[in-house]
Amino acid sequence: MASEIPVDPGALREEVKSKYREVATNPHGKFHFHTGRRLAKRLEYDTSVVDAMPDSAVESFAGVANPFSLRRLERGERVVDAGSGAGFDCFIAAHQVGPDGHVVGVDMLADMLARSRAAAEQMGLRNVEFREGLIEEMPVEDGWADVVMSNGVLNLCADKRLAFQEIWRVLRPGGWLQFADIANGKPVPESALRNIDLWTA
Amino acid sequence: MLQEIGFVEIRIGKALDTFGEAGGEKKARQFDVYGYPFLARKAG
Repeated sequence: MASEIPVDPGALREEVKSKYREVATNPHGKFHFHTGRRLAKRLEYDTSVVDAMPDSAVESFAGVANPFSLRRLERGERVVDAGSGAGFDCFIAAHQVGPDGHVVGVDMLADMLARSRAAAEQMGLRNVEFREGLIEEMPVEDGWADVVMSNGVLNLCADKRLAFQEIWRVLRPGGWLQFADIANGKPVPESALRNIDLWTA
Repeated sequence: MLQEIGFVEIRIGKALDTFGEAGGEKKARQFDVYGYPFLARKAG
């Protein structure tokens, strides 16, 4: 019977760091996925909001779908973005929750955190902050969040149950989990599941 | 897994062709991979 955790979590984390460090430092490089404004349009984000954002806030965006499409955030909500990358979804969230809300982006990559903090500063956002941390161990207190969101990150966690349990911890009772991720309609062979190179290819 | 952890009101939105026209399109087609929005609520 297959293990629920098919690869070494630490080794996968290092592979993910390597790939997404490149997205942070060279957003116009060649990747197997789209990035930036072209991707945001493909994923049906509100163009009026995205068009108003500076390139620095959009160009390293590398999500896989739109976590706001099933539910718009409410004014005043407290939001955690698990795996915030360059901060694109946090900036959309900041727009939706307004000045009385608060958005915390959590990411493990210093390069992404630097990008997201610089873009937030450029946009003058006061309701967004970025913290260094892992999805499996977020620097957020128990029950703080009205909403936890994530985009294209949970599929890159080796231990998904642990990640979802951590999200459960930071959500208040009745809080929302709204995330975007990929899913496969055809089964992936066991050998491929155990090949770390294929997780980020 | 979401249900096992205790999430309720789980919804899945429409599929998006995330990798269409990108370098990963061939592999995505091989395994029928699309991007989806998910929504769930922590039981209160």
